[in-house]
Amino acid sequence: MPEYKGMVQPVRATLEEMRKIHIEPVPDELKPEKAIEYLDQIRKKFRSFVMAMESCTKCGQCAENCHTYLGTRDPNNIPTNRAELIRKIYKRYFTLEGRWFGKLVGAEDISLDVIEQWYSYFYQCSQCRRCAHVCPFGIDTCEVTFIGRQLLHWLGITPKLHASVGAAMERVGNHTNLPKPGIVDTLEFMSEEIMDEFGVEVEFPVDKPDSDIMYIPSSADFLLNPYTLMGAGMFFTYIGANWTIPSTVTEAGNFGLLFDQYWTQRGNVMRLLNAAQELGIKKIVWGECGHGWRAAKMYIPSLADRPVRWPIVHIHDEIANMIRNKELKLDPSKNSKPVTLHDPCNYVRACGLNENMRTIIRAVTTDFREMTPHGMDNFCCGGGSAILFDDPEMYQRRILLSQKKAEQVRATGVGKNGDGILCAPCSICKAQLYPMVEEHELGVEVKGLVDLVGKALVWK
Amino acid sequence: MAFIEIGGKQIELDEDGFVVNPDEWTDEVAIMFAEGEGIKELTEDHWKVIRYLRDYYKQFQVAPMVRKMCKQTGYSLKQIYELFPSGPAKGACKLAGLPKPTGCV
Repeated sequence: MPEYKGMVQPVRATLEEMRKIHIEPVPDELKPEKAIEYLDQIRKKFRSFVMAMESCTKCGQCAENCHTYLGTRDPNNIPTNRAELIRKIYKRYFTLEGRWFGKLVGAEDISLDVIEQWYSYFYQCSQCRRCAHVCPFGIDTCEVTFIGRQLLHWLGITPKLHASVGAAMERVGNHTNLPKPGIVDTLEFMSEEIMDEFGVEVEFPVDKPDSDIMYIPSSADFLLNPYTLMGAGMFFTYIGANWTIPSTVTEAGNFGLLFDQYWTQRGNVMRLLNAAQELGIKKIVWGECGHGWRAAKMYIPSLADRPVRWPIVHIHDEIANMIRNKELKLDPSKNSKPVTLHDPCNYVRACGLNENMRTIIRAVTTDFREMTPHGMDNFCCGGGSAILFDDPEMYQRRILLSQKKAEQVRATGVGKNGDGILCAPCSICKAQLYPMVEEHELGVEVKGLVDLVGKALVWK
Repeated sequence: MAFIEIGGKQIELDEDGFVVNPDEWTDEVAIMFAEGEGIKELTEDHWKVIRYLRDYYKQFQVAPMVRKMCKQTGYSLKQIYELFPSGPAKGACKLAGLPKPTGCV
């Protein structure tokens, strides 16, 4: 059971696994001094980080707004205290008062213990940015977690889960290690399933040159979320789109955002742009993936090494536009079970994808109930930033981290008769909630939003 | 690295107890893992799922979509959980000697 001096920690990548993602881990005895060197580089680059280090007044507004703190009641999981794990080091080495007065002003010397503390707490934070949303100073504590994880990565400390995803992405172009024959086989199976259930002929073109639309699905859809894939295929077929899925980037996610924004995230962006150029497409449509949509919409323009000449849009925005233009015939009675919507944090707090999800859900279901709070104020599923660790200790933590979400779902009453739907249109949310709705006995089935669209389409 | 020993041969396991090299897998590995999973005895039903997963992996180097596995073996997801209490990935795939699935799964 991974634990360090009483702190829970995710299983970490081995030396060999770190090398696969281009990191030569720093030996333990050198880690403290290297950490300071890296921290110095980073503070000179990111004003958002310096602001978090210098401006917090410890008003405490973030505490009760963090699902991680609410679930664990561990004071180090209060967002400002989590940031303090780096702030105390920042103070000691980069401020006058910290250098002169040390502990008296809350400064602390760097040590291996501190680094291990970072590893425990920066991987309990799900980077949901609810703390940033309520901070009266506008401090984005998520930026501190980003930087904490980046420092750890450079030192050679990355969770096995994140590192293996990074390696899979580089090797085959998706997180789940799907080679092209596996992609094609699954998509053919989806076509058969659609024919069986809906009586419609839907093809999933892979690597089709001169397509107008390049659709980027989440690779988790190929293992766990069949109706999300089917729904997308049915939607594109319904509107008569000339579309394709690229086998070289069958992945909406970009874990670089979550542990290594310098190299991994950038590398994944280049991979995407290469695929678009090669296939000669006109538009990129993104699938259901929260952090991946943030990485695509908000980061590609600044990470790309070349002009990006294609619009990059989310499938929800496409569907919502067509609903508003009355271009889709939908029968909401096809989804008549009570349904509530879990807002993926990255959609609502980072990408402005909020009302469009509601435009869709109202058009394709008959009994939609909002949870409280929702939209930009919503709570995370507890798995955000892929803290989907499944060793027994961390799995228990996931149950605690999803407690607030469970309360919210329960309060809507959708699962009262055991036949509710929890719509969670993001692969991380889905992966977290599939087991969590069972752990908390919520009486709901987890679905994507495109799933519900596929079911409601009325074919001529 | 952890190892298990079967018939005098050492088989390497990863931190999660999955077989590192799927080619080293034998029926005995599944039988040994079954004990650790709290499965009393591997029945024909178990073997049917295990064989299906192995064949699929051999052809595609990846685990099948869970829905496809259910459809092709004829077991519902609920039955898969009854057969393999840790579920399709951590239970069935592990016994079949497939690598641990990565990503948002």
